[in-house]
Amino acid sequence: MNAFEYAAPRTLDEALAVLREHGDEARVIAGGTALVTMMRQRLVRPSYLVSLREVSGLARIEAANGDVRIGALVNHREVETSPLVRERFPVLAETFRRVASVRIRNMATVGGALAHADPNQDPPVTLIALGARVEIRGPAGAREVPVEDFFRDYYESALEPGEVVTGVVVPRRPAASGAAFVKFLPRTADDYATVAVAATVSLQPDGERCREARIALGSVGVTPLRARAAEALLAGQPFGADLLRHAGESIKNAVDPLSDHRGSAAYKREMASVIAGRALTQAWEAARAAARETR
Amino acid sequence: MTRKIRLTVNGTARTVEIPMYRTLLDCLRNDLGLTGSKEGCGVGVCGACTVLLDGKMISSCIALAVSADGHEVTTVEGLVGDERLHPVQQAFIDAGGFQCGICTPGQVVSAKALLDAIPNPSDVEIRDWMLGNLCRCTGYYKIIESIQTAAQRSRA
Amino acid sequence: MTFTQECAIPVERERLWDFLMDVPSVAKCVPGVEEVETVDAKAYRGNLRVQVGPIRLALHGTMTVDEQDRAAWRARMRAEANDGRVGGGIRARMSLTLAPGDGGTRLRIDTDLTILGRIGEFGQPVIKKKADALLEEFARNLGSRLQQGG
Repeated sequence: MNAFEYAAPRTLDEALAVLREHGDEARVIAGGTALVTMMRQRLVRPSYLVSLREVSGLARIEAANGDVRIGALVNHREVETSPLVRERFPVLAETFRRVASVRIRNMATVGGALAHADPNQDPPVTLIALGARVEIRGPAGAREVPVEDFFRDYYESALEPGEVVTGVVVPRRPAASGAAFVKFLPRTADDYATVAVAATVSLQPDGERCREARIALGSVGVTPLRARAAEALLAGQPFGADLLRHAGESIKNAVDPLSDHRGSAAYKREMASVIAGRALTQAWEAARAAARETR
Repeated sequence: MTRKIRLTVNGTARTVEIPMYRTLLDCLRNDLGLTGSKEGCGVGVCGACTVLLDGKMISSCIALAVSADGHEVTTVEGLVGDERLHPVQQAFIDAGGFQCGICTPGQVVSAKALLDAIPNPSDVEIRDWMLGNLCRCTGYYKIIESIQTAAQRSRA
Repeated sequence: MTFTQECAIPVERERLWDFLMDVPSVAKCVPGVEEVETVDAKAYRGNLRVQVGPIRLALHGTMTVDEQDRAAWRARMRAEANDGRVGGGIRARMSLTLAPGDGGTRLRIDTDLTILGRIGEFGQPVIKKKADALLEEFARNLGSRLQQGG
């Protein structure tokens, strides 16, 4: 790796000040799994690293008015095992559990993963389906961006220079709703999905027809995607094989996968539709079960 | 651009001055003489470099040594106590959980962390936990048996 | 890797050709090109900055025009550039063809690209996407430059 200076400030304001001072030459480090790997490969060569590890207040998981707020320095393993997340959003705990191994999950943070903006990651897919928002702080103050708008391009997030992710907020789900995450991993040369889909379905008072569906996909383009056209087809409809097939066709048009060792673009396109069907089926079933319970 | 860091390694306070770019693995091996942890892949995937940081497994090849400043590190050398092998180490020997040995320090450290967290792990729990420790020789069955042996013995 | 790209430029073919053969002016329309120096009648030296997320490439190299055939509206060029920091480089052979199109000209570029070293780690699809984004911006810059009466 190149030579660099390293600071581990204790407050967020200090960290932002250091970032502002060093501009382009500084990078934020949290768990370091992505950044140190890239630095060892000499793909990035920052001359200043600002670690957020000693900043207090960034590593909490807490309930806030029915929503759940996860701090940026919370690691993947903590989300996976959090009683609060498992109770309120089991699909999210399950998604974090699917990432790599326990050892990597001990190191990699929620904020770091978002800022890294790799379209092949799992958590952003479920976070989009859950309608989560990214909390950001920077020189101009604090702001929030929906996770689905947070990714601009391959490895590029919506963070402006000098900004850091401070957390992610997952809003409460309606009572008659269900969610599912399906990771299609036919090969294990690495742990990234060939295609991954997260779906949430909430039902109308009749407990059968869809009120709202959200479908998010990973590994299908340069960013994770939300399949809004497919979602629109489902609104107001009862569950059915034809409907899912229709939605699947729409999804094939919405994705733009890259060919790589996990699959050709054509294969991923096909599988996006199949896996979306499975995720929707599971989510709808879960929603129906929840609706029956709340009667 | 060097820094003096203070960390507790295997229960002993150590102070060492290192350049910022030193990985924790290189610091342990080269600056502190603890060559038990190995570099396999260099990208955090294979698990040969596994150490415990504040009791949790990490890949030391992609951890910066400076990030361990003020923290506790446990390496495979720290498993031995009072001239006796740790029960996990003894179980690996008795159940034949290694062949060439290159992945073994990482396997053993990870197994110890597993049994600390889950004293009576099921087969599924063992596989899930140990998933990040690759082995080219054994085919993994004997590693799982070794861990089951260690767990049984500590219950006895 | 080989790929073909096409774009529409709102300028008639003759004028576009004449402009394209003025390499230093054309280079100014390529996003990320900072300097271009004429070495001789057919060869130029320059640099190109490209970014993929946090990874920044600074390619330095040369481009040579091998053939200009105005009658056939075709030109061929070669480029070689290296990145000193990331380690790696590119070797490209490009063939440009101009055809009449709606409202102007259709510019078609056939590229045979070899990636050397570290840059290759990105994989072809990412590189192709970057090339597409570059061409889109180039076409926009070219269009507005020519419409300004350049």
